[in-house]
Amino acid sequence: MNSLNYASLFQLTLPETILEVFSLLILLVDLGFLRKSAQSTRMTAACVLGVIGSLAAAICLVCCPQFTSNTAALVSSPIVVAAQIGILLLTALVLLLSFKARFSRNPGEFVTVVLLATTGMLLVTAARDLLLIFIALELLSLSLYILTAFSKSSAQSAEAALKYCLFGGMSAALMLFGFTYLYGLTGSTNLAEIAASLATQGVTPLLIVALVMVAAGLGFKVAAVPFHLWAPDTYQGAPAPVTALIASGSKVASFAVLVAVTTAVVPAAASSQASSQGASWTVLLLTMAAASILLGNLAALVQTSVRRLLAYSAIAHAGYMLLGIAANTPQSGTAVLYYALTYALTTIGAFGVIAIVERTTGSDNLDAFAGLSRRNPLLAGTMLVFLLSLAGIPPLVGFWAKFNLFAAVLRAPSTTVWGLGFVAAALAASAVSLYYYLQVLKRIYVLKPTNEEPLEVSPLELATLVLITAAVVALGLFPAALASWIPLG
Amino acid sequence: MNANVWIVQNLWLIPAIPMVAAGLIALLKQPQRKASASLAIGGLGISLLLAISAFTHVLSAWSSGAFTRSAVNFTWFEIGTTHFQLGWVLDPLAAVMLVMVTFVGLLIFIYSTGYMAHDENFTRFFCFLSLFAGAMLGVLIANNLLLLFMCWEIVGLTSYLLIGFWYHKPSAAAAAKKAFLTTRVGDIFFLLGIVWLFSQTGTLLFYDNGAGAIEPAALATLLSQHAALGLTAATAIGLLIFAGAAGKSGQLPLHVWLPDAMEGPTPVSALIHAATMVAAGVYLVARVYPLMSAGATPGSTTVALTVVAWIGALTALFGALVAVAQNDIKRILAYSTVSQLGYMMVGLATGGVAIGMFHLITHAFFKALLFLGAGSVIHGCHEEQDIRHMGGLRKSMPVTFLTYSVGMLALSGFPIVFSGFWSKDAIVGAAFAWPISKGPFVLLIIGALLTAFYMTRQVAQVFFGSYRGHAHPHESPRVMTVPLAILAVFAVGLGILGTPAWPWFTSFIESKPLALDFAGFSEPGLLPLMAFATLLVFIGLGLGWMLYGRKPVNDPHAPDVLQQASPVVYSWLAGRLFWDELYAATILRWYAALAWLADFLDRRLWGGIVSAVSASFTGLGWFNKSVDSQWIDGGFDKGCEELVTTGGVLAWLQAGRTPGYLRSMLVGLLVLAGLALAIGASLGQVRL
Repeated sequence: MNSLNYASLFQLTLPETILEVFSLLILLVDLGFLRKSAQSTRMTAACVLGVIGSLAAAICLVCCPQFTSNTAALVSSPIVVAAQIGILLLTALVLLLSFKARFSRNPGEFVTVVLLATTGMLLVTAARDLLLIFIALELLSLSLYILTAFSKSSAQSAEAALKYCLFGGMSAALMLFGFTYLYGLTGSTNLAEIAASLATQGVTPLLIVALVMVAAGLGFKVAAVPFHLWAPDTYQGAPAPVTALIASGSKVASFAVLVAVTTAVVPAAASSQASSQGASWTVLLLTMAAASILLGNLAALVQTSVRRLLAYSAIAHAGYMLLGIAANTPQSGTAVLYYALTYALTTIGAFGVIAIVERTTGSDNLDAFAGLSRRNPLLAGTMLVFLLSLAGIPPLVGFWAKFNLFAAVLRAPSTTVWGLGFVAAALAASAVSLYYYLQVLKRIYVLKPTNEEPLEVSPLELATLVLITAAVVALGLFPAALASWIPLG
Repeated sequence: MNANVWIVQNLWLIPAIPMVAAGLIALLKQPQRKASASLAIGGLGISLLLAISAFTHVLSAWSSGAFTRSAVNFTWFEIGTTHFQLGWVLDPLAAVMLVMVTFVGLLIFIYSTGYMAHDENFTRFFCFLSLFAGAMLGVLIANNLLLLFMCWEIVGLTSYLLIGFWYHKPSAAAAAKKAFLTTRVGDIFFLLGIVWLFSQTGTLLFYDNGAGAIEPAALATLLSQHAALGLTAATAIGLLIFAGAAGKSGQLPLHVWLPDAMEGPTPVSALIHAATMVAAGVYLVARVYPLMSAGATPGSTTVALTVVAWIGALTALFGALVAVAQNDIKRILAYSTVSQLGYMMVGLATGGVAIGMFHLITHAFFKALLFLGAGSVIHGCHEEQDIRHMGGLRKSMPVTFLTYSVGMLALSGFPIVFSGFWSKDAIVGAAFAWPISKGPFVLLIIGALLTAFYMTRQVAQVFFGSYRGHAHPHESPRVMTVPLAILAVFAVGLGILGTPAWPWFTSFIESKPLALDFAGFSEPGLLPLMAFATLLVFIGLGLGWMLYGRKPVNDPHAPDVLQQASPVVYSWLAGRLFWDELYAATILRWYAALAWLADFLDRRLWGGIVSAVSASFTGLGWFNKSVDSQWIDGGFDKGCEELVTTGGVLAWLQAGRTPGYLRSMLVGLLVLAGLALAIGASLGQVRL
């Protein structure tokens, strides 16, 4: 922090500040003025304010002058800003899809906590200091635990939150433990200084233990095997918008910090000494990646709950992205970010559809989707696009995300025949994944509905879903559209 | 030409608007007929206005002597350092076609509201029509061979959908399939050509400020590359692309689908299988003309163009011959279309882009007119299509008769007043002046004579004599006859744009200055040739009238006059020279054998392998299961017993037991740490 004065710190954290101000404003409006109003009015007011707040923060990021600094605890490079804008837009989309959600009697608090979680995500993305990373991650995690438990009348929600919290607490403890070892080994909490210090010393068993513990903490956030066990239960139990948030913005932020940590502990130079230095971290990442890809895709095959199915598929997607992180080149870093952002966008859409189906049929089982194409063709169409994009079918954006990611992995100088094997396995696994996505689509398009009457959807939700669909299709048709924003190698 | 003009920057709107209209119509329900028709007509109307503004823009650039071509390109995607670009181009060729397609299309859309008024799938029909219009316009403005190919395939798809529009008729379903598969044969060669071109030049843009694939730099590299059989790469690629064009434009030997395509509703035949889509092949050849003619010097031509000329001439004669002996009113016109497309190809190959394209434009108008007239006749005779069951319709359908006669005279090449005379005469003249061979010329003039003959035969049987059918023919509603009248005006008037004295069209396409100069007629050999062609037309008309008009047939079942004269020749012509039978006996039989073999292999060989693999996996599963149960039965602690009662490992994973979760997470952590340490030790970095 030594190179920052308070004025520039304020400038750097202006988006976060805007979010905080809006979250307080929402509480004020909700508890102060709208206490007597109808539930739906309060939800609408809170969501509208929340959307305005996130968009304002995003606009602030786009417009304000940015400066980069490598030694500071918070950085603001183009990539970080791109991730932050993406997170803010994703939050706005989640809030847009929450308008009709009925799980909470305290809408103001709900949106406030969502904004707090978003603040955590923004900080996590920008943080380059172990302590700040930890604090930001905890802000994010604690908000998400609260959100998961928000459906107070649902036992499932409480159970999911408790599991999430226990798991999160344990992995946070492990990560903090790992951080203290890192500090002890290098004498600094700043990632850049840690990198410089590690480059001069050899590998010790202590360092490896520290790295494994850090991997446990971050692996929990991205739901990588073997730290994934919370994911299916939480995805299933949490209210749908919260699941969407956990699966989207939180993932983007976690992958961003994972990229940052990897750059610090694996020296970027391709010298032989450097590559052996980072070998253990890379091995950790690759092991987690391979296990995630394998287990995620196979376990998803047998799911009957669409939420659990998407949870396992999320584990598999995390595995693909971990491959990109293990490759550790600037190109693969941006490819991972691109993947995380577009995956998050698609997943929010999918959970939006699930929320609607769940609200009308009361279940997220595969059979609840039967004949959706006849009950609401447009809704079915959006789900078709989302699932095909998740499966990586061209010309949707999911194809380009996978393509860029795997191409970046194959191009990385550190990639050997092993890397090739991993990519081949990932490709084969994504072919497998098509099976379970098609299982859902088969229910939607082929099977007859048990209930013939049309499924009503509010215009706002439908408009949001169509917007996301249009984005998924358009980004797939014009893959160069994001190029100025996220420069892909 | 200034590329920053609004219309050039936004040229993509012309295809996009009908496509969006198609998408919107697809969302409408079956009874919303008016809305769907309004959307389709409105969308194409806006496209027509935009096309006219694009046309005037090119026109003003031409009259001010500026450069008349402008292209707008943008990056579609990047892979590594390769930027793959798409774009659109506006030049006289595209501008003329845009106006023609939107204008003829609009008239046919309007006509269809009358013709299809009683069809229950009215909305679907307009959805397909709009989609077709959008894709066709996309073909016209594409500045990239791949983009052109994509639109080309959408055009093929809509053609399939519309031929099979009445899919409950088995013949329509079969015809749709035939059209799709036959054109696909050409398209495969086309795609090969595209891939080859991309591999040689690294771009598929037509024009890109000198770096495009058909600009001189790329052509020079293509000419220096040698393919097999002594051909240059330019020739080979040109021939492959021409194969695609031949498929779409019904050239020999891929013409077989076009006559069958008449199973579709008549407006479809008019729009897609006469005026626009089948002309897309001709347009494609015109678009890649620099590639086709690369390396040609004055007095010689290229292999690619020679092939185009011969195929075109043979097709022209073949179509005219077969049309003589057909009895279905639309089928006669279909073979006539095949024949006229052959003329256009010869015009392109021997005379250049302008001559082929001029015939394309005039033909589009008078052939659309003829088809719509035929539709009106069919409509009026209650779905009767056999000309032997018609006759005398000039009294009951006067407007249709008048406009049809205009179209017939234009198609026959009746001198001076009709546009077909000028455009066809230019082609015949170019073929006569072709330095390679006089063969195509001879084929063409025989074709011209036959054209006049079969059209006279048709008109005499349909409109003259006495009515031989059983229905009560009536004139069609105004919404159908007004488009006929408008098209008739153009079938006459367009000729003025292409006379030797005032070759407006040629000058416009080639962007040369234009002046009115009657000396154009005094070129050596021109007037005698015109006189000769005129004479042939009159002979054809006279023969037709003598055989069919003077003594009207009264019995619909009486054999044809030609059949009486020469039964063998007639049966060959009526059997369309037995191309379909030839294909059935050769290619299709081979294909069936191959399919049988593939089926056999699939069932026996591959199926066996798959079963073996699956059996081995099942065995592995059993093995796993037994190991698991042994392992569980053996038991490490009491918890395991509980697991067995709850149903095995999978259930355990999903049972949601938090302590178990946390325990397995710790196990995972230890495994990872052990792995990392072991690898670190094996690499010699860590001393344990």
